Amino acid sequence: MSAPAIQITGLTKSFGDVHALRGVDMTIKQGEFFGLLGPNGAGKTTTINIVTGLVFRDEGSTEVFGKDTVKDFRFTRSKIGIAAQEFSVDWFFPIEKLLYFQAGYYGLTQEQAKPKIDDLFERLGLDKKRESRLRQLSGGMKRRFQIAKALVHDPDIIILDEPTAGVDVELRRELWQYLRDLHSQGKTILLTTHYIEEAELLCENVAIIHEGKILKEGSPKDLTRELGKAGITVQLGDVVNGMESYLNEFTFTRDENRLHFSVKDPDSAMPEIIRQLSKADVHIQSIESKVSSLEDVFLSLTGKGINE
Amino acid sequence: MNWIGFGTLIKREVGRFFSVYRQTVLPGLISSGLYIVIFGFTLEQRISEIQGVPYTLFILPGLIMMNTLTNATANTSSSMLQMKLLQQLPDLLTAPLSGLEISLAYIIGGTVRGVVNGILVLILGVFLTDLPVVNLLGTIVFIFLVSWAFASMGLILGQIAESWDQLAMMQNFFLTPLSFLGGIFYSIKMLPEWAQSLSFINPIYYMINGIRYTILGVSDSSFIVSFWMALFLTAIFTTSAILLMQSGEKIKQ
Repeated sequence: MSAPAIQITGLTKSFGDVHALRGVDMTIKQGEFFGLLGPNGAGKTTTINIVTGLVFRDEGSTEVFGKDTVKDFRFTRSKIGIAAQEFSVDWFFPIEKLLYFQAGYYGLTQEQAKPKIDDLFERLGLDKKRESRLRQLSGGMKRRFQIAKALVHDPDIIILDEPTAGVDVELRRELWQYLRDLHSQGKTILLTTHYIEEAELLCENVAIIHEGKILKEGSPKDLTRELGKAGITVQLGDVVNGMESYLNEFTFTRDENRLHFSVKDPDSAMPEIIRQLSKADVHIQSIESKVSSLEDVFLSLTGKGINE
Repeated sequence: MNWIGFGTLIKREVGRFFSVYRQTVLPGLISSGLYIVIFGFTLEQRISEIQGVPYTLFILPGLIMMNTLTNATANTSSSMLQMKLLQQLPDLLTAPLSGLEISLAYIIGGTVRGVVNGILVLILGVFLTDLPVVNLLGTIVFIFLVSWAFASMGLILGQIAESWDQLAMMQNFFLTPLSFLGGIFYSIKMLPEWAQSLSFINPIYYMINGIRYTILGVSDSSFIVSFWMALFLTAIFTTSAILLMQSGEKIKQ
């Protein structure tokens, strides 16, 4: 069996008295689109900074394709491309030159890097900005450049730390599509975000991190099923005596002509509710379901919203 | 060894200072020219010769050395601090480059700037004053060694400093006074005995006198001592800079 793209075991890290990570365990399979979800200060950036070599770990292990990120740093770093949350600034060189430097750090000659750089400039809409300095770019353009830098050496694993923070809706959707394309090419993607919608739309699996610990890991669908608070509300035309006995298998409350059902999965529960109410000879006026979201999951795990 | 990565970083460091040559190359030439004109030509009427050498010629090796070591130090220290403060350093620290490769590339970048500046002032001196160069190879070797040593020291300063203010303090309160007190404009034999003794613990004194010997054939200290001191400083600063980079102190958490 092939080694996971990233395997983190028992990872701890403290900054003075602050325990940033308290034993993080996380496995990201090859080719997976994985989201690390958590509010600011939860430990997302510290975790990825340890994997990429920017922060020393206290305890635990971090492996990339089965190799230790400290002992085999040349191998592990060459496999990873990272788009950091913070923009860097450079006063001296145009962005095209900066990309050639970036490729060079990863062992690519100018000739080897040229086709990739040309392609990235075109794909990310930076072609007309080749000679611009970073300070001359807008926020959105800087974000595109960050992503180009992460991809210039064609890494197998792409780590994006809050890639859509502060970008407009149009660019966000453009970037999402680009990430989907990269994923379909077999790239492993680790995304940290506190945009729930982003994780739900893109990620096959997510881990919820809070106060330096992974609280839950799984697919967004499984997590919402397991921990979400979904519901079905049925508006009745009339109330039939004894109808409750048909609904014994469900948890529900009644509010005059309205029944509120608490269910894990509204899609599978709804046909059965309708069948039982029909059996009881009840006239249904309307029915609506509320699907649970990762936001609900997050709320139930941490007791607060992700942006609080 | 990641040779391409290493070469790329050297190219970046050298390209960086050449791209702003008005800040990194021309000022040293202009200030050295002014020293020659103002100090040399005016004071020469009062101090005709030191150790049998006209005063203008006497100060030139010191000017070359001061220009060499301040530029070598400034290149590595400012580049490292800038990369830290402008969030560029993560690009290097997450790349497959070792601490050894990163520190050596920085040092080579600083050495190139030191050598370029030193040699340009040497050429200026030859052009303006008919400066005789007794041992050209020795001069170039000395400029190279001092550039390497002080580029390494600059890298240490840049890595330790957390602000431009701290860096300026280290340069203005230590490096510049030590350069001036190292005997650029005078022979230490002109000083009282206690001041002469103090000069012996100033490493820059040996650098200035070493290059003065290779250019003019005269010096306050033995050339062998100066040469060994340059080698010693190079070894100490280079080793310290590499170890500091490998430790990740102040650049990794």
